[in-house]
Amino acid sequence: MPIEEVRQKLQKELIGRQKQIELLVSLFGEKHEMTVPSLFIYGHTGSGKSLVISRILEELEGNVVTINCIECYSQKVLYEQVLEKITILTVPEGAHQGYIKCDNMNDFVKHLTSSVKEQEIQEETLYIILDKAEKLRDMEPHILPAFLRLQEFTQLNICVIFLSEIIWEKFRSNTGICEPYTVFFPDYTKDDIFEILCLDCPEEYCKEFYASYINLLLSVFFYVCRDLKEIRHLASLNFAKFEEPIKKGEATVNDTRKLWKNIEPHLKRALQTVYLREVSSSQWEKIQQENIAGQEVSVPSLHYRCYLELPFYSKYLLIAAYLASYNPAKTDRRFFSKRSEKMKGKFKRNNERKSNHLLGPKLFTMDRLLAIFYSIVEGRVAPSADLFMQISSLVTLHLLSQVSSDDPLELPKYKCLVSLDTIRSISRTVNFDILRYLYDFL
Amino acid sequence: SSKVGTPCIPERKTQAHKREDLFEIARSRLHVSAVPETLPCRENEFSDIYSFVESKILDGTGGCMYISGVPGTGKTATVLEVLRTLKQSAEDGDIGSFRYIELNGMKLTEPHQAYVQILLQLTGQKATADHAAELLQKRFSGMAPRRETVVLLVDELDLLWTRKQDVMYNIFDWPTKPHARLVVLAVANTMDLPERIMMSRVSSRLGLTRMTFQPYTFKQLQEIVFSRLKGLQAFDEDAIQLAARKVAAVSGDARRALDICRRATEIVESSSCGNKKKELVNMSHVNQALQEMFSSSKITAIKSASEQEQLFLKAVVAEFQRCGLEEAEFSKLYTQHISLCRFEGLPPPTFSELFSICSSLGTLRILLTEHGRTDLQMRVRLNVSQDDILFALKE
Repeated sequence: MPIEEVRQKLQKELIGRQKQIELLVSLFGEKHEMTVPSLFIYGHTGSGKSLVISRILEELEGNVVTINCIECYSQKVLYEQVLEKITILTVPEGAHQGYIKCDNMNDFVKHLTSSVKEQEIQEETLYIILDKAEKLRDMEPHILPAFLRLQEFTQLNICVIFLSEIIWEKFRSNTGICEPYTVFFPDYTKDDIFEILCLDCPEEYCKEFYASYINLLLSVFFYVCRDLKEIRHLASLNFAKFEEPIKKGEATVNDTRKLWKNIEPHLKRALQTVYLREVSSSQWEKIQQENIAGQEVSVPSLHYRCYLELPFYSKYLLIAAYLASYNPAKTDRRFFSKRSEKMKGKFKRNNERKSNHLLGPKLFTMDRLLAIFYSIVEGRVAPSADLFMQISSLVTLHLLSQVSSDDPLELPKYKCLVSLDTIRSISRTVNFDILRYLYDFL
Repeated sequence: SSKVGTPCIPERKTQAHKREDLFEIARSRLHVSAVPETLPCRENEFSDIYSFVESKILDGTGGCMYISGVPGTGKTATVLEVLRTLKQSAEDGDIGSFRYIELNGMKLTEPHQAYVQILLQLTGQKATADHAAELLQKRFSGMAPRRETVVLLVDELDLLWTRKQDVMYNIFDWPTKPHARLVVLAVANTMDLPERIMMSRVSSRLGLTRMTFQPYTFKQLQEIVFSRLKGLQAFDEDAIQLAARKVAAVSGDARRALDICRRATEIVESSSCGNKKKELVNMSHVNQALQEMFSSSKITAIKSASEQEQLFLKAVVAEFQRCGLEEAEFSKLYTQHISLCRFEGLPPPTFSELFSICSSLGTLRILLTEHGRTDLQMRVRLNVSQDDILFALKE
């Protein structure tokens, strides 16, 4: 297909990417023409980078090799994946044989040249797409510069395309690298998103009806989320609720106000769970169906995160650790010593200090943890091996974290990692009023 | 398809035309590889090493000698000359015959390969490093009444250093064996190498027979060049003196002096290309060669940098002078640069543009920068002095 037609077709098909398509199509040109040695494409997540590139190259019938750099945990995997995918470019699936072994850049360039010649595509442009290219910076330092000049090294018509979400400035090393041609994919505007979402209109409804739904959806969600994928997910999830009155026969397609009244509280609730897949989509749909059936089912709340079933002393240890983390050490005497009643009058709170709950947990030693533990726990507790085991199992449960060095002579240091809500619910189970002992809440 | 290539020097298709003119001969004589028969200015060292090795061969014993000196002072050349002379006198029957073995630390992939090399040169046998060490140990400690003396030259001794120092230990321990008849000549650059890196039991085996090659003085360098150019009317005497004095002041490296003289002959040839009139190499030519070899290219690079790059360097100097430190964050430099741009009436660059300017200067090593992922927090230092920058940007 001639280039001009490809461009017009894609510009009609892909919404909001007219400029980028025009630029890229003119850069790539005909198959036999040389193109830029390297192309760096960046933009936010869900701005259509991979889609535009893959659609253009599909229409141009280019030879494309796509690699996701996250999968390549070593350079060997990266090279072998590229070579493997080149060998199956022209051969039908399953027909090829032979696995190329390659573990350094030098061999890669050699093998690349020979396998391109073998495939008889040396007259055409070969596109190597490296998705999530920011991972290349963490590999050996020579890989990124070498991929940027692959055209020069192999003397072949190769274009390496880097896709990333971060800017090119963060790729520069201090030894200097060949600059790629940079293309920016800007975020979709509200109108673009609206138009794209309208494409998923279900068949049984008319376009205007679905468009009004999308309009309502965007008016709620657009301020917190512009990620196309997430909004699309939300749109498909909540549509069943929107069409419910029509299915029941309570409203017609043109009853905009009634439909809005029905969906609005529902969408406001869903706003809390944007990006958080606490309730899986299948669960969510099930809840809605049950609601339709007339039963009142509460959404699985956030409470389960605060609820922990722990042994008795572990609870006290965790409370002691929380107090040690969020109270300054100099106030321990006041909270936990026997003579604390007398000192109460002297103590004045300094208003200018910052809340410890804003600054995060502080380190404490095991000594201090045990001292607080003994002062808050009721009855006599022997410092048995059990108690120390419980401390270390709290560490493995990630309720505490051990921060100190491995020096055996030094006492271990810990940090408490649980939230205030959790610790409050735990202390309620042992009848301990934690707020009375927290410096921030006095 | 069109050919894309890295810029390179075009290949020579035909053989270079060889001319037998004055400067061509001078150049071939001045070449570092053209070692003369007798080394001038190293007569004392020659006789010392000669008498040491000769006495060992005559006595049928072994021993070690440590030879040190900065690069280009004729250490290896002198030792090789000694061995050449000894070989001649062995052929004449004045002394007993001996074997000569050469070992260069720089040419070994790994210190333990020294055993393999020694065994290969001694017997032609190939073995692994461990096995070779065993065989050599057996050979040198065993009795063999009609064995001839072996002279072992160990060049670049410091590269044979290992954590356990077993290679050095063995090499210096073999000569002490009663029937080994091994003479070791160890060559390295630093004078205090035995005291600095060797364990005491290794350095005591090396012994106190040491020799230091002093750097050449300007008179000696002058004599070396004169001796090479004997019978050729190519150089002005003052020109040679200038080259010798300059080199002696910096390093006393004979190779450097010869290189400068060779370069000077090239300069003369290219300058008098058109006219056939013969011209001697004079002071100005040598001076030009010296400038090429010794001058730093950084000031030239700063002078020929782009306007914004120069402005950025000014911003760096201004920021350093403002805060009194030798290091600044990129974000501070950016604000400084913007205000300098306003002052000069230039359009201020964007962050990305300035970042590429900064990293291109970092690539040239005029600045020392970090990896780009630290972006605004990137710390920048100068790799040249502030005075150099101010001097280069003055015009």
